Amino acid sequence: MKKAYFISLVGLLFLLGFTTIQTTDSCDKKAMTASCKKKLDQYKYDSQKFTKIIFTKKAQQLEVEVPIFIGEKYRLVFNTSGLPKNVKINIYTKDKEAKKREAIFSTKDAKADEKEFVFDAPRARKMFVDYDVPADSTNAKLTGCMIFMVGYK
Amino acid sequence: MFLKKKSFVLKGAFFIVATMLIAACGSDNTKEESITTPVEDSVVAEAETEEITYSLPSPLQIASIFKKSGLKYKAGITSELKDPAKYTTNLSKAINLGVYSADLSYAVLNKQNQEAMTYMKLSRQLADNLGIGSVFDQGNLSKRFEKNLTNEDSLAYIIAELQMVTDMYLDENDQQQVTSIVFSGAWIESMYIASRVFEKGKDKSLNNKLAEQMTILGIIINALKAEEKKDSAITGLIADMVTVKDIYDALPSVKNNPDASDDLEKELTLTDDEVSQLTKKIEALRVKFING
Repeated sequence: MKKAYFISLVGLLFLLGFTTIQTTDSCDKKAMTASCKKKLDQYKYDSQKFTKIIFTKKAQQLEVEVPIFIGEKYRLVFNTSGLPKNVKINIYTKDKEAKKREAIFSTKDAKADEKEFVFDAPRARKMFVDYDVPADSTNAKLTGCMIFMVGYK
Repeated sequence: MFLKKKSFVLKGAFFIVATMLIAACGSDNTKEESITTPVEDSVVAEAETEEITYSLPSPLQIASIFKKSGLKYKAGITSELKDPAKYTTNLSKAINLGVYSADLSYAVLNKQNQEAMTYMKLSRQLADNLGIGSVFDQGNLSKRFEKNLTNEDSLAYIIAELQMVTDMYLDENDQQQVTSIVFSGAWIESMYIASRVFEKGKDKSLNNKLAEQMTILGIIINALKAEEKKDSAITGLIADMVTVKDIYDALPSVKNNPDASDDLEKELTLTDDEVSQLTKKIEALRVKFING
């Protein structure tokens, strides 16, 4: 009987602990930065941008404007390992207010377990990185973060 | 006896469960607070906001772009004020950390090793005063800089690494506004250096690069505006940067080429008089920055 109470107690604590861990932001920024840096390879580090994402009942679209300059070669490395759900990444040369724009990079066909993406930018004057964040109807308050790093040479 | 023990275990279990539930609720409250804090990279809980944020380049890249366009080294044009203790506000410390970063990059890319070492030390002192000096110790960056003083490529990579650890540190400490302020100082200093070296009628490539740099001023201003709620001192800096943009936007070459910043094939060239107008404003702002 005593043993049964003990097992129930441990089980309950485990369940509560697990629930807490699930809703906690699992964003290891140092590891994500280090991983992106490796993928820059010969490109020199220029900047990085972390974005904290809170999944809600509505889908969201976030945009980051990245300045680029003529004659420079750029590499962008994305790491989404800090996200509990996949977010689609698109890169455009026009902002989201533009009437017509085509993505020069997209992760729409990426495998579900793919967490790191490398993009060598073609010649352009402007770059807009868009994150299409899907809706989350579970009410689980899912949060996470993603990063992109810019390198140049 | 056993019933008493059972009751004790049950009470204990209820106590632990209740404590954890309260703690969990507490942590949720904290999360809500962080959600509603107007931080640039966060998404508001209701998610109706579809934000646009900005990524700023490094001072080293700006210096590198000017260098590739033919910017030569000219002695005595970098910041002469070498007493970081003079800067007492966080805003002036961050702006002048940017000024020193630009001077450091200019010195490194032009193989001015001793000057580079001086600006590295000054940057360290100013970073210490700003409370972020520890980034210089990460990966022995300061020591590695000293050891590689004769190797320009290594120094450039060390500066890039210093930029990375600084960006990381500021992000982890929710001080992204410092990144935008530092870059504002670095950008004005880089523009100042380029305009001082620019020779009228000769440096077409440098002229193009000065004009190209002006296209990111709008991004700098927007990035500062996004952080304004974190530090009200930024408001004055935004106003200063806007005065430069206003002069640029009113230049005839700019007004007559509204799509120049989108054209891949054509770089905007300013007249010598337009460069002079821009230069005067940049110089005045640079003096204001350096005087703290």
